[in-house]
Amino acid sequence: MDQTQVKSANGGAIGMRAIQKWFGTFQAVNDVTLDIRSNEFFTLLGPSGCGKTTLLRMIAGFELPTEGQVLLDGKDISSLRPNQRPVNTVFQNYALFPHLTVAENIGFGLKMLGTPKSKIDGVVKEMLKLVHLEGRGDNAVTQLSGGQQQRVALARALAPQPKVLLLDEPLSALDLKLRKSMQMELKRLQLETGITFVFVTHDQEEALTMSDRIAVMSTGTVRQVGTPWDIYDRPAERFVADFIGETNFLEADVVSVSGNKARVRLSSGAEIPATFPTDLTPSGKVTIVVRPEHAQVSAPSPASLLQGVIHEVVYLGTDTHLHIRLDDGTTFMVRQQNARSGHSGFSKDDTVGIGFSDDVAQILRD
Amino acid sequence: MNGAQQAALAARKKDTRSRWLLSTPALLIIFFAAVGPLLVMLLYSFMAKGDYGDVRFGEFSLEGWTSVLFQRDIFDDTLGFADAHLSIIWRSIQLSFFTTILTLILGFPTAYFIATRPPHTREIWVFLVTIPFWTNLLIRTFAMQQVIRHEGMLNNALIWLGIIKQPLQIMYTDTANLLGMTYVYLPLMVLPLYASIEKLDFRLVEAGYDLYATRFQVLRRVVIPLVKPGLIAGSILVFIPSLGAYVIPRVLGGGKNMMLGNLIEMQFGSGRNWPLGAAMSITLMALVMVALIFYVRNASRGGTGHA
Repeated sequence: MDQTQVKSANGGAIGMRAIQKWFGTFQAVNDVTLDIRSNEFFTLLGPSGCGKTTLLRMIAGFELPTEGQVLLDGKDISSLRPNQRPVNTVFQNYALFPHLTVAENIGFGLKMLGTPKSKIDGVVKEMLKLVHLEGRGDNAVTQLSGGQQQRVALARALAPQPKVLLLDEPLSALDLKLRKSMQMELKRLQLETGITFVFVTHDQEEALTMSDRIAVMSTGTVRQVGTPWDIYDRPAERFVADFIGETNFLEADVVSVSGNKARVRLSSGAEIPATFPTDLTPSGKVTIVVRPEHAQVSAPSPASLLQGVIHEVVYLGTDTHLHIRLDDGTTFMVRQQNARSGHSGFSKDDTVGIGFSDDVAQILRD
Repeated sequence: MNGAQQAALAARKKDTRSRWLLSTPALLIIFFAAVGPLLVMLLYSFMAKGDYGDVRFGEFSLEGWTSVLFQRDIFDDTLGFADAHLSIIWRSIQLSFFTTILTLILGFPTAYFIATRPPHTREIWVFLVTIPFWTNLLIRTFAMQQVIRHEGMLNNALIWLGIIKQPLQIMYTDTANLLGMTYVYLPLMVLPLYASIEKLDFRLVEAGYDLYATRFQVLRRVVIPLVKPGLIAGSILVFIPSLGAYVIPRVLGGGKNMMLGNLIEMQFGSGRNWPLGAAMSITLMALVMVALIFYVRNASRGGTGHA
């Protein structure tokens, strides 16, 4: 294979064109077209069985698309074998070679590429430093803790300087604290190496924390692609809004549309502005979302957009959740940050008014 | 020491005693079926031979042991190497070695194939591999004779295909021995290899490919090191019975291509030299021990505990 291609430090861009993947009669991936930019931290997010891992395995070359193409920097690599692609994987269970030492694991890729031993030793040393495992090169990988094995797996995949690094839920086996620090670590490594990272996870928080862009997937299709902000604040459809964070769905009628803003009428009769996905022309009955932390509660007044009765107060330490039954019967949740110690000021069975600012409502595609 | 500790100690003592009691039958069997007969053999090997077989009890002699490697010149009574014995020992080692290699070459792909089938079909394949064990070894060996004899199936097929004009003389050669032993001992190679390969984590194979290894490199650098325990077990299981093979060389090798097993049988039978037979049996055991030690040392080297 072309050695110089593997050695280049620039991250590669991945293109997926109308990809279909069937396993027998089960369709794992259904018509996915996606562009992952050079040098970005891109996350495939979705529940288990949504096809995200299959998509990753097609980039790696472990699976071949039934239809469609995988492009790397514009070149079709769909039919190349895994060892012919300048792409490395960090496996979910790490898949470290138990018969090799830490250093031998890290140097494996370069050795297979025929790199001279003196050069491999140098890179291995560099990699050990990069993942904070200096001096552990001669250890057996079986002697390492889960977090250390994780870092060896990372170093092993980074050592041959791939154009794209694929990460298949690499943090799922770690405990919470280690996971948090590894998230920071991964982000740092991505910025330092400039390699394109494609990260697969079902953990929305992980995705929001690390990613430059996220593709939310469900049942083999990509539902929405965007920055963490896009995905969270401007979800395009119900599945995305529901999968990421907690949210309120409200029925509304479109009153008018001008440019990229619409005015909708809520069930209470109040009219508010709302944003909508660019490929949508909203009309008639629509569903809008308002995030719980974007709404405020006050004593009922004519200025309130909605009105209801509190039927549950949940204290969570940093926040308090107020579950409010609206006049039309739907439940609405408001998250209040507990800025001051003590009571939130509202209790069960209080009648309250709900308000939110002009830029928080988003119309969903149905 | 409090009461609870004392009770625990007493329980442990009782446990130890009942453990010895429970292992008595096994210990008795080991003594009477293994250690005892071995001691008898050792004793016989140091006695003078009787005129019509058997040994002359109480008459110490090293003749049995010297005759393993040396023979007395019938005219001047000087010692010279027993060429016949040496060549038979050497042939046994060589044939066993090549049998091991051949079963490995044939057995590895077979085991790999079986281990990579879906779980429920694997059982069927393993079952098929064990079928030959249902048939008596002698019958299987005679079946092999039918295949390789002068007008046998192999020669007929080769002539029909036009590869050879004259039938090949395979019977009564070392090749016949080799083919026979490979056929008979192949399952002993396939089964432990299969057990090892089945346990192989195929994600490691994927990791190998991912890190730019070719198929051959994945086999050499990932698969073989990881299935080494099975490889060694299979090799031991094939090499050891090959070394002592008796029926196969008797039927397929004929009188000229004897192996150690036949030579030993001859000493107890027509040779009427029991001390020599006993000494040779112990020599064979020693050879097996050497082979075992070699394998075990090989296995422990660099074995990082992936069973």
